Amino acid sequence: EALGEYLDGKKESEEDQSKSYKQKEESRLKLAKLLLCGTELVTNIQVAIDIREIHRRVEEEEIKRQRIEKLENEVKTSQDKFDEITSKWEEGKQKRIPQELWEMLNTQQLHCAGLLEDKNKLISELQQELKTKDDQYVKDLKKQSDDICLLLERMEEQVKNVMKTFREELYNIEKAFEVERQELLASNKKKWERALQAHNAKELEYLTNRMKKVEDYEKQLNRQRIWDCEEYNTIKIKLEQDVQILEQQLQQRKAIYQLNQEKLEYNLQVLKKRDEESTVIKSQQKRKINRLHDILNNLRSKYAKQIKQFQEENQSLTLDYKRLVLQFKELQKAMRHFALIDDEKFREIWLMNEEEAKDLIARAFDVDRIIHTHHLGLPWTAPDFWFLKNVGPISQQPQKSATQIVEEMLMHTEEEEAEEAASEPESYLDLPKQISEKTTKKILMLLCDESGFLIESKLLSLLLPLEQNECYLLRLDAIFSALGIESEDDLYKLVNFFLKYRAHRLSSSLQIKSCSQASMEKANMEETSMGSELELAEQTEMEGAKEESLVEGEKEEEEETPPSPWDIHPNDVLKILEAFVMGLKKPRDSRAPPRVQKNMCNNSKDSEYWQALTTVIPSSKQNLWDALYTALEKYHVVLTQRAKLLLENSSLEQQNTELQALLQQYLNSKINSELQVPPTQVLRIPTK
Amino acid sequence: MQDTVTTSALLDPSHSSVSTQDKSSTGGHTSSTGPQPSKPSITPVSAKSRNPHPGANFHRMRRIIAEDPEWSLAIVPLLTELCIQHIIRNFQNNPILKQMLPEHQQKVLNHLSPDLPLAVTANLIDNENYWLRCCMQRWPVCHVAHHGGSWKRMFFERHLENLLKHFIPGTTDPAVILDLLPLCRNYVRRVHVDQFLPPVQLPAQLQPGDQSDSGSEGEMEEPTVDHYQLGDLVAGLSHLEELDLVYDVKDCGMNFEWNLFLFTYRDCHSLAAAIKACHTLKIFKLTRSKVDDDKARIIIRSLLDHPVLEELDLSHNLIGDRGARGAAKLLSHSRLRVLNLANNQVRAPGAQSLAHALAHNTNLISLNLRLNCIEDEGGQALAHALQTNKCLTTLHLGGNELSEPTATLLSQVLAINTTLTSINLSCNHIGLDGGKQLLEGMSDNKTLLEFDLRLSDVAQESEYLIGQALYANREAARQRALNPSHFMSTITANGPENSVG
Repeated sequence: EALGEYLDGKKESEEDQSKSYKQKEESRLKLAKLLLCGTELVTNIQVAIDIREIHRRVEEEEIKRQRIEKLENEVKTSQDKFDEITSKWEEGKQKRIPQELWEMLNTQQLHCAGLLEDKNKLISELQQELKTKDDQYVKDLKKQSDDICLLLERMEEQVKNVMKTFREELYNIEKAFEVERQELLASNKKKWERALQAHNAKELEYLTNRMKKVEDYEKQLNRQRIWDCEEYNTIKIKLEQDVQILEQQLQQRKAIYQLNQEKLEYNLQVLKKRDEESTVIKSQQKRKINRLHDILNNLRSKYAKQIKQFQEENQSLTLDYKRLVLQFKELQKAMRHFALIDDEKFREIWLMNEEEAKDLIARAFDVDRIIHTHHLGLPWTAPDFWFLKNVGPISQQPQKSATQIVEEMLMHTEEEEAEEAASEPESYLDLPKQISEKTTKKILMLLCDESGFLIESKLLSLLLPLEQNECYLLRLDAIFSALGIESEDDLYKLVNFFLKYRAHRLSSSLQIKSCSQASMEKANMEETSMGSELELAEQTEMEGAKEESLVEGEKEEEEETPPSPWDIHPNDVLKILEAFVMGLKKPRDSRAPPRVQKNMCNNSKDSEYWQALTTVIPSSKQNLWDALYTALEKYHVVLTQRAKLLLENSSLEQQNTELQALLQQYLNSKINSELQVPPTQVLRIPTK
Repeated sequence: MQDTVTTSALLDPSHSSVSTQDKSSTGGHTSSTGPQPSKPSITPVSAKSRNPHPGANFHRMRRIIAEDPEWSLAIVPLLTELCIQHIIRNFQNNPILKQMLPEHQQKVLNHLSPDLPLAVTANLIDNENYWLRCCMQRWPVCHVAHHGGSWKRMFFERHLENLLKHFIPGTTDPAVILDLLPLCRNYVRRVHVDQFLPPVQLPAQLQPGDQSDSGSEGEMEEPTVDHYQLGDLVAGLSHLEELDLVYDVKDCGMNFEWNLFLFTYRDCHSLAAAIKACHTLKIFKLTRSKVDDDKARIIIRSLLDHPVLEELDLSHNLIGDRGARGAAKLLSHSRLRVLNLANNQVRAPGAQSLAHALAHNTNLISLNLRLNCIEDEGGQALAHALQTNKCLTTLHLGGNELSEPTATLLSQVLAINTTLTSINLSCNHIGLDGGKQLLEGMSDNKTLLEFDLRLSDVAQESEYLIGQALYANREAARQRALNPSHFMSTITANGPENSVG
């Protein structure tokens, strides 16, 4: 494909530059042909010489072969002849006759001469051949030089030819290019001219436009000039007047200037004197500065020293501080420990004392009872005091957490539901006054439903399978932890808050009917002042919420039912909660000091308790007891007298008995019998 | 005089003026500046402003006078200029060149005489311009292209060639050449000698032997006609690549004697040892030296397994079949690319052995067997070899007594072979039928660019048709060369150029 494209491109280019390309191609072909022909022409000579050389070689070989054959033949014949001659020499030796020998020698000489002649002939033949060869060599040389000449000629001619044709072709190619260039030039020139004409026309247009504009501007300029002239004149007059005024002012200024000059000269002199003074002061100051510098340096060094010192001190102090902190912590720990122990001890002592007291009281009561029953003969009833039931220290009684209360409450209501209509709604919890348990529960349910966002989603998923009550309980737990409600009090505060909010709204809506806004606020003030501090803090919030409630209030103005949790609109719950949380924050912040107070208060309670214990027997009773005591004392005295008397009596009886015995004795003695007197008479006498 | 020359050059320091111009300018200058020496100390710039008589000396103070082209102010030449002149004059005794700044070096080189002894200049001056002047002074015709385009190399190669040509053993001192060796060893790459003179013989011996027994006398005196021994020289030239030798005597005139042209065994042995020791040799040529079979074998044996030899030229000798056999052995034991055995006496057996070596050769590109006598047997063997050979591009079998059987085999080769680009069968007896068969073979061939069939009894018609086919092949090759994406481009591009040249 690429090749095809390439060829296509080439074709296109061929069409594009057809003339020059054709010319180039033609020239190339022509030149190639010329070169080929030329080289062939030149090499033809070489080839011709080659073939001649081959022919020569073939001939030479032939001749050489013939020559060798001939020489061999010659050698054979001459050898034969030589053999003949040598054999004849043997023959000659045998011949004795001189004539014969001479004859033979002659013939032998003839033979030898013949042989020599043959040889010479051969040699001359060969030399002849050599000569012809030499001639031929010279001829060949000549021919070769001719050939070389021809070769050179041809080469030169070829060179000339080639140069000529090359030039021609170059000329042709150049011509073709020239023609093409001319064409291109012509076409470009035409284009150029057309563009130039268009340009000229446009130029002309612009020129006329410009002329028109110039005329316009000239007119405008003239107008402007006239106007400017007028303006110029007026301004000139005005300026001349100004100049006059200014000249006057100048005169004045000059006078002032004169005056000022004199003043300034005087000032100058004064200043000069001051300057002198100041130089003196300056030198003094400089000296002072030097001194101060010295002091400063000293102080700096001191300061550095002190810094060092203080740093060291600081380090030691920090160390001390750390140590102290540690000690303090330990102390705290010990304190806590001791507090616990103290509590414990306190409790134990309390219990012990209480027990003792109670024993005493019991004894007192017993005594009282005995007194009453035995001595006074009155029926005795045991006095019923709260503190008698108390066991343990009052200050350490635990407070219930909000959740516990809720739990209890829920449990309770559940039971209640089970019992359907239990006649006695015992106030199981000492709920604050007017708030019924049900109301509380409902408020809490509402809260639970509305503020689900306070509960974590994870918890919600966990809650699903639980019972309804438990579910509520856990939810409320989460909500309370989110709201920061911890104790029982907080919970009641919340419930109260709800109710008050409701009540307030109702009242406000009622008051809208009757009186103005101001009076309502006054009422609010009164209302809130009656409430705790908490409400005071929330007052602003309330006012904010109140305005919103005004709108809703109109809807609910007909309803005049007593405040019940049902009336609290679910939408309001959030607002109330918000207000509550805002209010709750403040008392929370100041938590620590009240605790101490609480202890103090507890102490007073304790003392009260103990005081109460002392007064278990009232003073009236004591008075009674005192009176009884005196009476009994008197009674005692009488009794003792009586006892004495009894003793006297007994002693007297004894004396009597003794005397009787004595008497008996006496009686029993013969004399007594003689003096016999009846005993009854004797006894009657002491009784009287 | 010299000073004024340099001052004129100083006025225009960017040009290094040529000495002849300077001389002419100073010639005319002396007359016009005759009164000048009266104020040699005044510099031209200050002189122009302080001239007390501007009217009188106006001419003298002008830098240029339109009518007088040779006018110039004579100024004291610069010290550097003077120093350079001195260095040029004393270059032979104290050659200072490398220590100078490049511009000054150039100036010195431009003015150095080409007659300075080679011992001074050979290893010091690399500037081509200087050696160009040296060459032009010694030889009227210089083909620097034959010497790698380097004038310095050309100078030393031709100088050495000159010395070798005129060296006469026994009379010329061999130190003449050996002294040159350290100077030229880094520059000579090619030694081309077309004449070796024999030792001088007594004229009395020449005259009687001239007439008849020249051959026998030559044999008798063979040990005395040894030529210069190349061993030391070749061993000394560290960059020698080409050795082109002809054991011949030129211009002997009427002193012709057969033993002038002898290439003795001793020559042959020493030459063989020399080329064997030369490991940089790429081209070896020994032509027109009556090398016969034995000598050829001695030389070829020394060339066996030569590391870089690429071209061997033994044309115009007397090598027969044994020598050809040796060459065939060399083909398989070297990296020979070009083998030339033109105008020898190789016959059919030699050609057969060459063909055997060629059949499996992968190096040889060109084989020339012109003017031998290998005949049909050898031709057929070569044609068979070409059926398996994939390397040979040029084959010259001109004047070898070939005829139709070779042509038939060659036509089969033409149809198969794709590497051959040039075949020469001129001066054979191919005959009409052979021509037709060759034409058939050509019709299947697309690579052959040259096919010479002149004077070989081929019908004109078939020769013309073969020419047409060759023309088509050439055009295709040219297209391939123009289109560089083609694989064969480089080889085919070189083909036509070589053949035309």
